[in-house]
Amino acid sequence: MMLKLEGMSKHFGGVKAVDDVSLTMNEGEIFGLIGPNGSGKSTTINLITGLYAPTSGTVSLEGRDLTALAQHERTALGVARTFQNIRLFGNLSVAENLWVAQNGHKQRRQHFISRWFKAGGLQDTNIDELLRFSRLHSKKDSLASALSFGEMRRLEMARALASNPKVLLLDEPAAGASIEDGQLLGERIRAVRDRGVSILLIEHMMELVMGITDRMAVLNFGRKIAEGTPSDIQSNPDVRAAYLGTKNKNKEPADA
Amino acid sequence: MDYYFFIDLIQSLVDGLLFGTTYALIGIGFTLIFGVMRKLNLAYGAAALAGTYVGLAAAFVTPLPPILVFFVSALGSGIIGYIVYLGCFRYTPSSHPMAALLASVGMLLFIDELVIHLSHGMPYPYPSVLRNAEITLGEIWIRGDMLFVFGICVLAMVILYWLLYRTSLGLATRAVSQQPRAAQLCGIPTGQVNALTFVISGVLGGTAGAMTAAAVGVLSPIIAMSLTTKGLIVVVIGGLGSIPGAIIGGLMVGAAENVFQLLRGVTERDIYVMLLLFIFLTLRPGGLFGNTEGRD
Amino acid sequence: MEFYLGLLQILGVHTLLGLSAYVVLLTGQVSMAQAGFYAVGAYVAAMCTAMFGIHILPAVIIASVSTGILAMIVGFPALRVRGLMLVVATLAFGEMVRMFFFNFRWQIERDGKLIGPNGAEGFRAIRFFPENGWETGDVALFIWCIVVIVLGLLWWVDNTRAGAVLRAVGHDEVAAQSVGLNLTTIKVAAMALGGAIAGIGGGLYAHTVTHIEHGVFGILLATFAIAYPILGGLGSVFGTLLAVIFIQGFLVEGLRFIGDWRSLLFGALILLVMNLRPTGLLGERMSPLKTLFSRKSPVVTNAKETQ
Repeated sequence: MMLKLEGMSKHFGGVKAVDDVSLTMNEGEIFGLIGPNGSGKSTTINLITGLYAPTSGTVSLEGRDLTALAQHERTALGVARTFQNIRLFGNLSVAENLWVAQNGHKQRRQHFISRWFKAGGLQDTNIDELLRFSRLHSKKDSLASALSFGEMRRLEMARALASNPKVLLLDEPAAGASIEDGQLLGERIRAVRDRGVSILLIEHMMELVMGITDRMAVLNFGRKIAEGTPSDIQSNPDVRAAYLGTKNKNKEPADA
Repeated sequence: MDYYFFIDLIQSLVDGLLFGTTYALIGIGFTLIFGVMRKLNLAYGAAALAGTYVGLAAAFVTPLPPILVFFVSALGSGIIGYIVYLGCFRYTPSSHPMAALLASVGMLLFIDELVIHLSHGMPYPYPSVLRNAEITLGEIWIRGDMLFVFGICVLAMVILYWLLYRTSLGLATRAVSQQPRAAQLCGIPTGQVNALTFVISGVLGGTAGAMTAAAVGVLSPIIAMSLTTKGLIVVVIGGLGSIPGAIIGGLMVGAAENVFQLLRGVTERDIYVMLLLFIFLTLRPGGLFGNTEGRD
Repeated sequence: MEFYLGLLQILGVHTLLGLSAYVVLLTGQVSMAQAGFYAVGAYVAAMCTAMFGIHILPAVIIASVSTGILAMIVGFPALRVRGLMLVVATLAFGEMVRMFFFNFRWQIERDGKLIGPNGAEGFRAIRFFPENGWETGDVALFIWCIVVIVLGLLWWVDNTRAGAVLRAVGHDEVAAQSVGLNLTTIKVAAMALGGAIAGIGGGLYAHTVTHIEHGVFGILLATFAIAYPILGGLGSVFGTLLAVIFIQGFLVEGLRFIGDWRSLLFGALILLVMNLRPTGLLGERMSPLKTLFSRKSPVVTNAKETQ
């Protein structure tokens, strides 16, 4: 298995944002994580990357325990992410955004000087390839803050890939995109998987999640309520209750 | 530890706590501005000093009783606070926090130089009340003018408390400090609230400046730097944005300063105060009442 | 002529001071401790030459290394806090250093005279240059050789991946961590580099004035240190250089005829620039000078301008 969460919990004061969640992701899998707003999806990503320290539980990558490691150490071992509200280095050019992110396990082996101070590092073949892959090559010298919204999304994913991750965590990559864009995005995510990267996808756009994930899990109020293939999930009564049940509750007073 | 040393220690503590209320006021001023604007106003100490000079200037023009001099000082400082707001915060873009910070530094230098020029850099006598009165409690004695300083500062805090928690202006201020965008959407004129906050904290600063000068008996431009640094220290110890924190921080700094002075002498005193602050910052970056995740 | 050579010396040491703050500012940290490092550099270098008879060059290197190490030690705890709290923490450190030298006495006898730091009196007779027959011009040339080396070094670093990384950390710490950057290492490294540069500046400064005392290294100097790069713009090292020339050369020396009022002008000027050009004189990125040497197309500059 690639990524494994065991008994993961995160409490903020009295709020149990994530409560005893266990997940197992296999290598080369596109794994979906869905749930209503505030069900703890983003918190889960933050726990995997190390932005938050868990209240209890462990997270491991390829059998190696990550729980005590800092964010940058996890990235070095192969965990990368994107953000729900895109966070690029707006003061750097597109190519430089990727350059900065070259901190993955492959680059770590480089000599100190060539890693930090080599001239012409921007002409790196990896960066070039990633720019073409993300259809950003023509924009490579633009400032990241001058890109369009869609380009920013693509750049952020490219930046995450620049660190040579084994697992890529995508936090609502389709937010703000149209249905057509969502379909394109699905193809892109598959293409990333074909590069040998396992993907954890958090998303609200159901067409996208149901269409491309191999397996998925559902969170509600911080707890995992279901796990399985997309078709399993669609027929799961608990999931229906989680998504539709709140609707029924709202209706009750009106009916009464 | 012998008896007289113990008495000296208590005496230092008492004096420090009384004078610490001026630091608390300055701290509250910094905290109020930070609370609503999320920005540090480094010109605050200088503005407070300039306001104190306004009071003194008024006393030169027409003879005024000390109380009125203090009042004019506070008022003058409030007006200068508004000018600082216009010059440093109103028109600098919020996307560049460094611009506002440096602008306030520019304002600090400007006000400081202006005061030095107009006063020719000379210290002037500043009125005080109850100078010769004193209260004796066993072997501890309390100076009357210090007690007056303490009283006025506490009064200022009470008035502030009333403003913040019992008036609609206070409600608006607290709303802006918690959720500026939401407050704006609710129809609160955030610009006006910001400006008013500068005026109110200016008045507090002017009161603190006047009380500092009254306690020392003279007013000199050097006070600006000490007001600024002490105010910042107080805010950090208390936690940025917390008014009770600023009060307790002020009292702590006042007491610590006097005790260090007793133990190590006046020239080394400030080293230890700074050291105290440094330790506080590294061990409890959020301050006494702030959250522990060092805020930005 | 002598006047202009003296001015060149001042511009040189202040450029170093500004550059020391520039490095730290790139990572988004406003450090008010630079005057403190500058003071330590001044005292260390002066002690080396005046008390122990070491040549100026090794003395400045010793000063630079020791301030660099000091900055690193201060950096670890201080960088646990961010933004405004860091301003206050570093301010406290700077004042602590100043008060330390106010109380620091260590004099030894040399050639029948007591020499060394003497508390509030300061440190007198740092006479390496006159004793060795260096003219004002020689000193100015020596200082500017060092300034050019430091400027060049920083400009080069700015254009490597290290420079991009510093700017990335300055722009968004959360994103920087997410792409695998070790914030502590990077910030402490920037702090140490800044400290080392301030140490060089201080060491040279002590020898140009021959007499140093604690009062010089106060908050005002710390303010100047951060004002140069912010005023000039964080686009490149040349912003800092430009701001130093403008403030020290034009405002402080050039307008000497209007007397003491020029210090008023300084504050007013900062206010004006920050209101009209919040990113500094040369802007945040891509100064005109840099575009000339840059591999990037001019389109980039336009993109920034339209923002």
